[in-house]
Formats: sequence, C-alpha cells, structure tokens
Amino acid sequence: MKVAVLSFAHVHAPTYIELLRDRGDVELLTADPGAPPDDPDRGAALARRLGVPYAAGWDEVFAQRPDAVVVTSENARHRYLVERAAAAGAHVLCEKPLATSEADALAMIDACAGAGVGLMTAYPVRFGSAFTALRRAVADGSLGALVSVHGSNNGWNPAGSRPWFGDRELAGGGAVMDHTVHIADLMDVLLGGEQAVEVYAQANDLLGSEGADVETAGLVTVRYPGGVVTAIDCSWSHPKDHPTWGGLSLTCVAERGIVEFDAFPRLLGGFDSATARSRWEPGGDDLDAVMLEEFLGAARTGRRPRPDGEAGLRSLRIVLAAYESLRTGQPVALPDPRAAQPS
Amino acid sequence: MAELDVALIGAGGIARTHLPAWTALGARVRVYSPDGRAPALAREFGQSAAGSREEAVEGADVVDVCTPTDTHPEITLAAVAAGAHVLCEKPLALHPADAAEMAAAAGAAGVRLYPGHVVRWFPAYARLHTLVTGGGLGRVAVARFTRTGRYPTWSDWFADPARSGGILVDQMIHDMDIARWLFGEVVRVHARQSGHLTAPAPEGAVATGTAVLTHATGALTQVVGVWAPPATPFRTTFHIAGTGGTVRHDSLASPGLRVVGTAGQGAGAAEGIPSGDFGESPYLAQIREFADAFAGGAEPRVSAADGVAAVRIAAAAAESARTGRAVELAAPLAADGATDATPEGASA
Repeated sequence: MKVAVLSFAHVHAPTYIELLRDRGDVELLTADPGAPPDDPDRGAALARRLGVPYAAGWDEVFAQRPDAVVVTSENARHRYLVERAAAAGAHVLCEKPLATSEADALAMIDACAGAGVGLMTAYPVRFGSAFTALRRAVADGSLGALVSVHGSNNGWNPAGSRPWFGDRELAGGGAVMDHTVHIADLMDVLLGGEQAVEVYAQANDLLGSEGADVETAGLVTVRYPGGVVTAIDCSWSHPKDHPTWGGLSLTCVAERGIVEFDAFPRLLGGFDSATARSRWEPGGDDLDAVMLEEFLGAARTGRRPRPDGEAGLRSLRIVLAAYESLRTGQPVALPDPRAAQPS
Repeated sequence: MAELDVALIGAGGIARTHLPAWTALGARVRVYSPDGRAPALAREFGQSAAGSREEAVEGADVVDVCTPTDTHPEITLAAVAAGAHVLCEKPLALHPADAAEMAAAAGAAGVRLYPGHVVRWFPAYARLHTLVTGGGLGRVAVARFTRTGRYPTWSDWFADPARSGGILVDQMIHDMDIARWLFGEVVRVHARQSGHLTAPAPEGAVATGTAVLTHATGALTQVVGVWAPPATPFRTTFHIAGTGGTVRHDSLASPGLRVVGTAGQGAGAAEGIPSGDFGESPYLAQIREFADAFAGGAEPRVSAADGVAAVRIAAAAAESARTGRAVELAAPLAADGATDATPEGASA
C-alpha cells in the first residue's frame, strides 16, 4: 500500500514516518513543501535523515496515487490536504485536532464521505491496552455508572520547537486546543459517542509563551447529557527540561469503584548521573503503532476507521465551546447533541 | 501556657480529634453534646461532661464548636456573647453573611475566632505554602487539588445540603482555603457536582464535586472532591505548575510505613478522618497554635477573615452548581474587627 505523509509541521510527523518506514507492507511517500528552507527538522533535510522518499510538492505526491495519506500539517491547514486526498481517492488519517473550525471539519467529513474514502482522527491514547480494559469495565457495567472524571494532559510547550503552535491562526489556539481533545476523545469512547452539552473554561499565559500569543495553561470542565462531569487540566505546564514530554492521566469515579488510568506509565525510575536528572523510562504500549495499524487495516479493507471524522468533530466542538467560554467567562451550551451521533 | 478552660460542643468525629489535642496541651475540657454522647467521649480522655450547653460555656476561656455546620453561627455568637474565644470547625457557616457576622461579633467583643482549617497544618500543605510563598515555584499558573474519602454516612447531616452545604462546601472548602492561602484572592468560581447529593445517603453512595477557581493573579485552581464507598482509602493529592517547575503530592504514594497482608478484615482509618503523617497530629499542631493565640500569643496561620473568605468561595461554588453559571466574587467584605484578609501568598 502506498502511504503518503503530508507535511512535517506537526511534531508527530517523524514518529509516523519512522513507524511507516519500518513496515513491510507500506510504500512510503513524503512531502513538506511548506518547510522553512533552513530547518533541519523539516522538509528534505528530515526525509534524508530518516531515509525516506521525498517529493517536492503536493502535485508530485498525488501524481503517485497514494492509497492513503497521513495529514500532519498545521491545524488550520488540515482541510486543504484532506480535501485534496479525498479528491485523489486516498484514505485519510488526520492529526488532531481535526480542524480549527466546525465548518472546516464538516467540509472534510463531507469530502471523504462523498469520495468514499475513510477519514480517521489521530487519537492514539484510546488504543492502549489499559484504556481498553477501562472501556470494557465501563461498558459491561462492572464499574457501575460513571459519576465524574478528572484528568490531566500536560506537556511541553510545543511552540518551543514548532513556532506555529503559538500562532492563533494556524493552531486555532494554544494548550486548550492542543490538549483538551485527547481527554475529550477518551470520554467519547467511555460514553459511546455522547456529545457534551456544556463546557466551561479558564486559561492564562502565566507560564510564559515561548514567543506565542496563545494560552499556555487551562482548565476545562465538560458536562455530558447523562450528568457525567469531566474536569480537565490541558496545560502546557510540563517543564521543558523534564526527562519526559509530559503525560496523560484520567481518574474515573464510578458508583462501584474509582479507576486511575495512566496512558504513559513510568516503567523504570531512578537517577541519571550523566544528565543530573531523574531517570524516566516510559512504559505502556506503542500507541502510535497500534493507531496506524487500525488506519491501515481500515484503508485496506474499506471499513470505517475509528475514531472517525465525526469523533474528531465531537471533541473539536468541545474545544470550540471552551474558547467561547473563555470569551464570555460563562459556561457555554453546545448545540443539539443528537446532531452528531455516529452513524 | 496557662491552663485553659475549654467548652467542647459536640461529640462526633471532629470532637474526637480535638479532645485529645486539648488534653495533651493540659486544658480542662467540659464536653457537651445534645445527642448524649458527651459523657462517654469525655470519660475516654479523662475530661468531664456538662449537662447543658450553658453549663459548658459558663466561665470557659474557649468554646470549641464541633457541631453540624448549620448550628455554627448561633453557638459561636452565644460563645462570643459570653466572652469566650472560639475555635469553630470549618466551614464557619453555610452563608457568607453569617460567617461575616461571626467574625464581626468576635472583633467587637475583643475575643478571638479561628476557623478549623486544619489542612494548613498537614505537613505536605504547610511545606507547599513555604515553597510557594518562598518563590520556589516561580509564578504559579495552574494547580489541581483532589480529596477523596468515604461518604460521611456515619452522621445524617453531612449528606443534607441544608445542614452541611454538601460536598462542595463541607469537604472541598479545605482545598479552596488552601488555594486562596497559596495563590491569593479568588475572583471567579464555577462548580459542578454529581452523584448522590441528598439526605439520606445510603451506605455505598458516591458524590463528587468539581470547582474551578480563578485567582486575581490569573492563576487557576481546580478542586475535585470525592465521597465514595466505605472501602475507599482517604487520599489527597495536589499538582501545581509555575515558571519555576512543578510540585506534586499524593498522600498515599510514599508512606513512612506501609502495612499489607494483614489477617482478618483490617479496619481502615477511623471514620474517614485522616491520621496525617507519623509524628505530631496536625489537629494537635493546629490547636496548640490557637491555644497560644488565645493565651495572648502570636496570631495563628489562619484568621477569622480567612474563614469568612473560604465560606464565600464555597458558597459561590454551591451557587454556581445550582444556577449553572460562573459566579464573580467582588473584593472581600470588610469584616469589622477581623484580622487582615490578605493571604501571605498573594504575591506568589
């Protein structure tokens, strides 16, 4: 199968490239025509370093008729590439957030549906085996009904290495846009695609901005129709000299138990004298590999990938409501929850 | 210190933590409780029981109010009128106006009123305060606090919002007070609660609350409270991020002593009240600091005005949960005669 990685703007692009490169069943293409010419982590320089084929422009990539594409451009530039891929008949894995506006997300969903190609949103965390066990415990009733959930998704400020993350136009916002959607997607799984009904958010930029004009710390409270409340810390508050990029954890309070989920558990600890800092060897599954397996499997068979574009839209709606709440200082009601149920 | 005569009103869970502290400090305590449990509790610690509240309060240097929250204002005002200093268990009151009236009455009468915000004496929180006010975290941006324990079904009034304020007020006021102590005044509050929120609460009930506090500095605090089934171990956590790094704590993560594999059922902590770390009980440390102040010593780390401010935040959270709106808090009420409302951490 021919798979093209389109743009290296997102920090996840090199990870996807390496995983796809090392698969025997993938013929990899890449392109990053928007790359700054002197950035060693973008464009032809990165492709050369990773030892993968590189095309100079979008036309050249699509001329090679990829079966599937991975879109890792800036958030606001997803739509252009997704629509081109759909027009070329390629299945799409789109980096999260799906888009920076509901109109863009809907256009992308429509384009893929109209072309008969799959559209998957890149939410890797739901693919972990520990989360799968949690999902089953919720689904089969052994935990009882969920009462509330609180979670954090903290990380480095990505604008430090990719300045566009700090550009409100290109990124759609800061930490609230970047990190709220991961936990929103986990809730989407646990609640079977139930669309949130209300969002409250507060944010600040007290941690400093790495030159960005977006919020770097945020708290988001989401309420679902069944009464479940989810409290999220989405801040880019992880120190940049910490041995890990950050992490994601979730505590589910249910009627018959409290479950704590850590998406990136620490496998080994200790101290590293060479760097004079804490040793931190991560454990858990290779979530990106499992996610790519799902995408390629769906693309190969033509079945609908999960999480699909609608799932991406549901979590995007939560984020867009969070920004509305930041503007008004009040909770924001979401539109009709029944409009976006999975088909 | 001079021997204090203390009237302890109430004989429930919190009285059981205060009485040994007073006893250890050499106070003479008479216990009164309308539920008839005072004599047994007093006897256990070699103290005496009073036949009525008036008898207990008569001539006392200090009245220690350990009763259900809705009764705090009336008992406190009566104690102040009798000329006694007051230690009033948190929350001072359910309503900010009542709390402010209590603080003002104490100020006018020239007696001291201190709210029992004992978490300020738990070692991890006391050290956190030192760290934050010392600038160790730089400029603080965002904080999370959680507090999880068993649903207080051992006494009917906790589950009754009209008497306790529910989980948002009764339990989460602890971390609201800590957040204000650390990061300064709160200007906006949003809260939600879910689960079993009414009395009676059956054994095994679950209730949770979530509050977001916006401080005047722009710093944000998330407070999560959980009342859970009886087997739930008591646990508190916090995580705070600033320009100087992060700090985290989990009360269950690094015990000085861990016991597993006991034969039999193995009773947990008594009635959901944390025992704190090994070493001195935080309840004893708190009461020693209050006792010193009652005897004319230095002001303790918490004031009546702090207690009033905590009630304002908690009441705003309850209002937010009721109305579904975020609640703006104006500048603190001027509590006549109360001590300065500015927390030491306001500049952090």
